[in-house]
Amino acid sequence: MIWSKEEVLSRSEIEQLQLSRLQDTVKRVYEKVPHYKQKFDEAGVKPEDIKSLRDLSKLPFTVKSDLRDTYPFGLFTCPKEDLVRIHASSGTTGKPTVVGYTKNDLAIWTELTSRVAAMGGATSKDIAQIAFGYGLFTGAFGLHYGLENIGASVIPMSSGNTEKQIMIMKDFGTTVLVSTPSYALYMAEVAKEMGIDPKKDLNVKIGLFGGEGSTEAMRAELNEKWGMFATENYGMSELIGPGVSGECEALKGMHIAEDHFIAEIINPDTGEILPEGEYGELVITTITKEALPIIRYRTKDITKLMYETCECGRTFVRMAKCHGRSDDMLVIRGVNVFPSQIEEIIIKTEGISPHYEIVVDRLGYLDTMSIQIELEDDSILDSYVQLNALEKSLKHKLKTVLGIDATIKLVEQKSLQRFMGKAKRVTDLRKDDNK
Amino acid sequence: MLSQLSVFIENKKGNLVRVTQILKENDVDIRAIAVFDTPEFGILRLIVIDPQKGKEVLNEKGYSVRLGEVIGIELTDELGSLNTVLELLSDNDITINYIYSFVLRKEGLPVMVMNVNDMRSAKETLEKNGISLYK
Repeated sequence: MIWSKEEVLSRSEIEQLQLSRLQDTVKRVYEKVPHYKQKFDEAGVKPEDIKSLRDLSKLPFTVKSDLRDTYPFGLFTCPKEDLVRIHASSGTTGKPTVVGYTKNDLAIWTELTSRVAAMGGATSKDIAQIAFGYGLFTGAFGLHYGLENIGASVIPMSSGNTEKQIMIMKDFGTTVLVSTPSYALYMAEVAKEMGIDPKKDLNVKIGLFGGEGSTEAMRAELNEKWGMFATENYGMSELIGPGVSGECEALKGMHIAEDHFIAEIINPDTGEILPEGEYGELVITTITKEALPIIRYRTKDITKLMYETCECGRTFVRMAKCHGRSDDMLVIRGVNVFPSQIEEIIIKTEGISPHYEIVVDRLGYLDTMSIQIELEDDSILDSYVQLNALEKSLKHKLKTVLGIDATIKLVEQKSLQRFMGKAKRVTDLRKDDNK
Repeated sequence: MLSQLSVFIENKKGNLVRVTQILKENDVDIRAIAVFDTPEFGILRLIVIDPQKGKEVLNEKGYSVRLGEVIGIELTDELGSLNTVLELLSDNDITINYIYSFVLRKEGLPVMVMNVNDMRSAKETLEKNGISLYK
């Protein structure tokens, strides 16, 4: 269901709206945020230079360290008393990045996540269980307000406590699950251990997944295990949280809310803007946020943009599933490898579980990659020949797709770590040089 | 035919004892065990008194376990008895995947456990030639 009339604006209407909102935003950050003023001055650009959407490219990029360097509130445009909510990123290294919302920002966020929920098929009749961690992380609160806004009943379950999660799912008749895709896979596994078949014994029909990227193979696995319709949505706290984009029932990419964001794709190495349809790093400018507008934020996510109108009727540009973050990309013996490519192969292979761990190391001058995979199928278990054949076929597929040799290590079922939030499946043991 | 449990284990310290511990705690008596010196992972093959229960308790603890059939042959304790069996199988184009043995404590007789490419024809061949199978 299309939630807002803005989602079907014509291209010229979208661009008109974007330009005037962009001009306002640029003017505001220049006047109110010394950090932006300094960066714009250094780049020799003034707010009045933004005469068309093309002029956006004159503005300097904003990166995560801009937020860290101005910790905690240095990029905010409004006085602290105007804030009604403050969130922060997990900040695995050093200080977290802090984001704030005015009353109006929260209203916009609610609108954006309402659209995402409606796009994924949720309605006022649904019971939505939110299995994202509540707290400083934006995932849970974002979808919480959106789902409430469309009239669904929200269960603010938070992540973890998996057996209870499943009990509530069963007893309350949950129909919509909000979580990371890896946690949903783990929940299905725990349900099975409890003697509950998610497909038959639970009523979860819709999955709204986010917080980490996922592959088509992962979607197929989720649909199969849960008997659901899984969609993915995208966002990040620096931009607003979830709600930046989401998949509609056509599953042909995630619609970016272009009345609130401007999307560009750049070559991550040169910063040059790439033409439509080419893969590169997604750069987003917020054009309606009050507390923390962000100009040309480098998301590090690798994707492409598609402008033709979707079969669902929405006109907003679509972004493809992310190939992975430019951060996640591994360079192994000079070859670029995204863990998502490996995941795709693993999930499509019979006999093994979708849980895996990749370890990259260096032996002498040579990079090595070993992948631990859980053996699941017991029918081939009595034969070393068949187990070796499984290893060999995986090795061969990886070699074909990635062009490099990997060591495959079959491990015992359920011996690898399971994740309640974003999965961390890659360990890089190499020194920082040449990574 | 004889039921055998095949358990997938990684070659790590303590992994074997963990399996035998689980079986012990659940009163599943082990009659025979075979494991080889493979580098990464191994298949632990077990003949136990109650294989169904053995599979269940190991599954519960997260192990991949296969309950399969093997041929058990009671050998007489005399020169050439194993050779006779192997010749019979070979003459009938039956190839052996693996073989191990255990001893029946009361009778003191050795039992050969084998897995072959064609279980049914192996069984028929042996029975036809008067070789007694252990069940």
